[in-house]
Amino acid sequence: MYSLNEQQIDFILRDINARGVRLESLQNDLLDHICVIIEQQIEKEEDFEQCYESTIRAFYRQELREIEEDTIFLLACRNRLTLSRTLFFILLFTIFIGPFIYPDIAWLVTSGPTAGWNIPLDIWASTVVYSLFPLLILLVLLLTPERLDPLIPAKSKVLLGVRPFIKIIAAR
Amino acid sequence: MSYSTELIKGTLKTIILKLLADNKKMYGYEITQKVKELTADRIQITEGALYPTLHALEADKLVTTETEYIGKRIRKYYSLSPTGKTQAKEKVKELASFMDTMISLLDIKPKMI
Repeated sequence: MYSLNEQQIDFILRDINARGVRLESLQNDLLDHICVIIEQQIEKEEDFEQCYESTIRAFYRQELREIEEDTIFLLACRNRLTLSRTLFFILLFTIFIGPFIYPDIAWLVTSGPTAGWNIPLDIWASTVVYSLFPLLILLVLLLTPERLDPLIPAKSKVLLGVRPFIKIIAAR
Repeated sequence: MSYSTELIKGTLKTIILKLLADNKKMYGYEITQKVKELTADRIQITEGALYPTLHALEADKLVTTETEYIGKRIRKYYSLSPTGKTQAKEKVKELASFMDTMISLLDIKPKMI
C-alpha cells in the first residue's frame, strides 16, 4: 500500500488550515481520515494531488469549515439554558424594568411603616417615565402570539446578547 | 437503498455509542467503514456529521480519547467512558422502543426471515 510522505502530510494539513479549520483536534481527525483514504486509493506519487482534490471535495457541501462550524455549534448547544417563553420575559422584565423600580422599593423600605404607599411624586414620575417605554415594548413582545411573529424569541435573545446560550421553548 | 439524512442524523449518536461499546476503541475512518460494512452500504456516515458528533460526545464526557502517532500524523482513538457505556445501553433501549412504537403507529408488518 502507498504511504504518504511528510511533505504530502504537511501539504494536507496546510490546506485544511487554509480552508478555515482551526480547531487542532479536528484538524488531526480530518488529516488522519484523509490520509487513510488517499493511501488506500493511490498507487503512485503522481496521482496524489488529483486524489487529494477528489477526497477533500467529498467532505463538505460548500466549504470544509462547515465541519468546524457544526462542531462549535454542537458544543455551544450543550451549555444552552432552556427557558420557557414566560420565564424568559420575566428575566427581561427584571433586567430592563427592575432598576427603575428600585428607587420606589428603596423608599418603601427606608421610609418606615408609617409612611405607607405615599411615594413622593418625583420618585413615581421617574419610575413611570423611564420604565414605561421598555415596559410597553416587553408587553407587546410577550403578548404577541408566537405564531404571528416567530422571530420574537430570536430578537429577544439578540437583545440579551447571549443568543448561543439561551434556548427559548414555547410556554406551557 | 440509502436512508435520508434526517433519519441518520437522529440516530447518529446511538450508532456511534453502540459501535464503541462493541469495539472498545475506534478512530473516525474506522467508524465510517464499520457502519458501511454492517449496513451493506445502506448507511454512509459523512465526515461532516461524524466529527461534530464525536467532539460533542467527548465534551459531554461520554467518550474518552487517546492519540497515537502514525508517522507524522496523529490518530485519535475514541472509546466509551463509564458514563458513555450506560448512555449507550439507554440510547439503544430508547431507539428499540421508538422503533416498536413506529411499527405499531405506521402499521408496518415485520418481514418474516
